Amino acid sequence: MQQKVELLAPAGNFECMVAAIQGGADAVYFGVEQLNMRARATMNFVIEDLPAIAHLCKQHKVRSYLTLNTIIYDHDISMMRHIVNEVKRTGIDAIIAADQAVISYAFKKGVEVHISTQANITNIETIEFYSHFADVMVLSRELSLNQIKQICKAIEKQQIKGPSGKLVEIEVFAHGALCMAVSGKCHLSLHTQNASANRGVCVQNCRRRYKVIDLEDGHELELDNEYIMSAKDLCTINFIDQLLDTGVKVLKIEGRGKAPDYVKTVTRCYREAIDSYLSNNYTSERVEDWMSRLYNVYNRGFWGGYYLGREMGEWADSSGSQALTKKIYIGKATNYYARSGIGEFLIEAYSVKIGQQVMIIGPTTGVIETTINTLHVNNDGAKESAEKGDYCSFETGIQVRNSDKLYKIVPAKEELSVC
Amino acid sequence: MLIITFKRQKCIGCNYCKEIAPKRWQMSKKDGKSNLIGAINKKGFWTIKLGEEERDENERVANACPVKIIEIR
Repeated sequence: MQQKVELLAPAGNFECMVAAIQGGADAVYFGVEQLNMRARATMNFVIEDLPAIAHLCKQHKVRSYLTLNTIIYDHDISMMRHIVNEVKRTGIDAIIAADQAVISYAFKKGVEVHISTQANITNIETIEFYSHFADVMVLSRELSLNQIKQICKAIEKQQIKGPSGKLVEIEVFAHGALCMAVSGKCHLSLHTQNASANRGVCVQNCRRRYKVIDLEDGHELELDNEYIMSAKDLCTINFIDQLLDTGVKVLKIEGRGKAPDYVKTVTRCYREAIDSYLSNNYTSERVEDWMSRLYNVYNRGFWGGYYLGREMGEWADSSGSQALTKKIYIGKATNYYARSGIGEFLIEAYSVKIGQQVMIIGPTTGVIETTINTLHVNNDGAKESAEKGDYCSFETGIQVRNSDKLYKIVPAKEELSVC
Repeated sequence: MLIITFKRQKCIGCNYCKEIAPKRWQMSKKDGKSNLIGAINKKGFWTIKLGEEERDENERVANACPVKIIEIR
């Protein structure tokens, strides 16, 4: 039984970062500029955001890690060094790296280094090699629980220590999208669209439908599932006790491209799961509850990844999310009355009525989920519903800020016309 | 006449443009993004007018760009 486990959550922007903190993350990871595996994401931070990120995380006693884990060309060296220097200067806690140029420079500068899953660590010798530079290492996602356990035991037995003088800590992915290739080392997107996954611009060819044709005789091969390369999403919450028993010290949630409500829900579920494991309170009833909450946010269906030693992967049977609920933008915050805890919103699309479950998202606010109990519309007093163009107010409990976005939560299959 | 427009901010520094048309594209040692040589910056859109002789090469550049931020007119 372990004493302490770190929960590491993704942040593509400030909304997600606050959501991760609200969800109970011990640490967050994020990328800046183009040298990270989500270079395409318009959500990425810029270098100028680093002081604000460091401040926000320190304020909440959350560790912050910057991903700098693409392959690096000669022309990237100067930018890479600038980012590492800024990490050091602004007090970001560590850099997640895969390329030796980054690892070496960050180490020299005295910045804590974590080895990215992109380095594909699969054995104890490689861990020993990287221990000269790094204190935390993310294992390749294709290892089984037994293999992970052997590695964790060997670190202890051989007393493999990082630059900090402490034993090397092992991090694994606990939840989120999986690639069909060995961790990120896939060339499909590069091959078809010139867009290298290893430069952070994967076009996700694997998520599409395919058919296989025998070119000799023109026959189409029979396939049970046209999504032959799209792995379901990893979910370990139903065997997190076994995963933590291996001795891993950090659980990472994938998803720097995901929405704030996704980050908050998934982080919260895993926070509760880790805490219940540590307090000997991990039960099948609780697993059921977490699973139903996880099914409500973006997912391609779940499987346990390669941890349980399956012979074959499990493939998704549709292209997009199978989430059970979705959020629809309906307006923005225009005022907040601190004394009464009431927020005022301008409805810009559709309508909203009493009893509706809503979500408010903002860069400082993070994610607030609530249900409307009473609704005041314009200056007409209490009403049953508010329409497009109306100003309405209801209790949010927590402070909202001007321009925070208001969404309503509806079943995923509901058509817009009836919203 | 040929007009190239380049939305530099979104460049990921993949190096393809430089591989195809090294006289017109260069990788910045400063920030790792590409520079469209001779272009003028207006609110993040770098533009240059050129002779038709550079069209073929630069259309290949635009096609190769993985983030599709190069426009040829």
